[in-house]
Amino acid sequence: MMDFSAFLDQIWIARFAILKGLGITISISALSIVVGSLLGVLVGLSLVYGNRALRFVVRVYTDFIRGTPVLVLVLASYYVLSTIGIELGPFQAGVLALAIFCSSHVGEIVRGGLQAIPQGQTEAAKAIGLTFRQTFAYVLWPQALRQFLPAWVNTAAEMVKASTLLSVIGVAELLLRTQEIISRNFMSLQFYFFAGFLYFVINYSIERFGKYVERKTAVPA
Amino acid sequence: MTVHQGNIMTISLRTSALCLATAFILSAMPAAAQQATSKLDEVLARGHLVLGTGSTNAPWHFKSADDKLQGFDVDMGRIVAKALFGDPDKIEYVNQSSDARIPNITTDKVDLTCQFMTVTGERAQQIAFTIPYYREGVGLMLKADGKYADYAALKAAGSSVTISVLQNVYAEAMVHAALPEATVDQYESVDLIYQALESGRADAAATDQSSLAWYMTQNAGRYKDAGYGWNPQTYACGVKRGDQDWLNFVNTALHEAMTGVEFDFYAKSYKTWFGKDLAPPQIGFPVEYK
Repeated sequence: MMDFSAFLDQIWIARFAILKGLGITISISALSIVVGSLLGVLVGLSLVYGNRALRFVVRVYTDFIRGTPVLVLVLASYYVLSTIGIELGPFQAGVLALAIFCSSHVGEIVRGGLQAIPQGQTEAAKAIGLTFRQTFAYVLWPQALRQFLPAWVNTAAEMVKASTLLSVIGVAELLLRTQEIISRNFMSLQFYFFAGFLYFVINYSIERFGKYVERKTAVPA
Repeated sequence: MTVHQGNIMTISLRTSALCLATAFILSAMPAAAQQATSKLDEVLARGHLVLGTGSTNAPWHFKSADDKLQGFDVDMGRIVAKALFGDPDKIEYVNQSSDARIPNITTDKVDLTCQFMTVTGERAQQIAFTIPYYREGVGLMLKADGKYADYAALKAAGSSVTISVLQNVYAEAMVHAALPEATVDQYESVDLIYQALESGRADAAATDQSSLAWYMTQNAGRYKDAGYGWNPQTYACGVKRGDQDWLNFVNTALHEAMTGVEFDFYAKSYKTWFGKDLAPPQIGFPVEYK
């Protein structure tokens, strides 16, 4: 009991550091998910509807990015870009790396979602005289959206977890903040658990939000 | 059609000219910069020092309860800032992990790194080390009211002594270099090796003397040093290679903090983080030549 009140005491002392770290973690994740998803939709569309050359280029991009550990991407965007004259701060470099990583995953999800729709749908749309634009907007996209929502939520949660890697290039996100606190009070077990709990809360909220959107967009049975 | 083509021609000509010019400027710039100015001038013109250090290792570089970076490494940077601007606070910190120490120096993300960096031959090929500001070694910490009085008593007790140590490939060999027969218990984190000592599962904790000194300062009267150190390592700051002017300046600042006008600054920091008073350098014949 004594230990627990000491732990609460330490949390109270470090409350601003924890909140700042939480804020940074949330903003990194939100930014990289939004930017990565927008890019990812373009990637997905190129993979399905692009011409041969575009498809090839985008395929190389996604395969290369998906086959590279996120940590390597983070280090590359911080160090390699600076050698060719693009000076990014740790936060910007980190968001860039995560957004690019996210885009390759979302791209594959979008591609999968679109390709899972039976060819007959497109043919039927053509038969009733819809243009390609209309077919895409009214027939394919709404169906694909429902297909890839669960996978997209999963990717979003992955991005939150990947944000911890930015501590390596000195972004003071939740994990680095936690380590800073531990180095002061030596309560490693308690504070790592606490950080784990906070990450869980963030990811659980994302999951609930995803479920909510799924319910809202579900086709009534 | 012809006009159109002509346009493309002009644009591509202009673009290639621009590319050439850019390439020329880019290739000319570093050479010119190196000849004309040193990092020293750059830092002075900028008005603050960019110091690379960590934030997760007490007493070297860590955050105070009010979220300020502090520690012995940080104070070394403050000594350099004071020498530069007469103000130890004119520092922009780059928070970096231990892995980032050398890359951040070589890619110019920092002017100077002070982050308990052990001097090794391999590292000295990549960056330039300043003069040392501390010598680290492994020490043994005992409970103040414990069974063993000092290192001699631990050694005499032979295999009945248990030492708690941080998990490491070399941990066993490291302890046995000082206590050949002792039982070695390895733990995953620093707090656990201290806990083992506190709870009596270990008779002594072996780790970096600076960490022990800090812990003993934090818990005054509960622990004592066994009075033996081994595994020496030199800590020095690092700068980019090839800028002797800047290296000389940092060396001078550190040197005078350990032997000259800024000795009080250094001694105060030493007392704060390691809990020991330093004797002032002997007046008269310079201590360096003894």
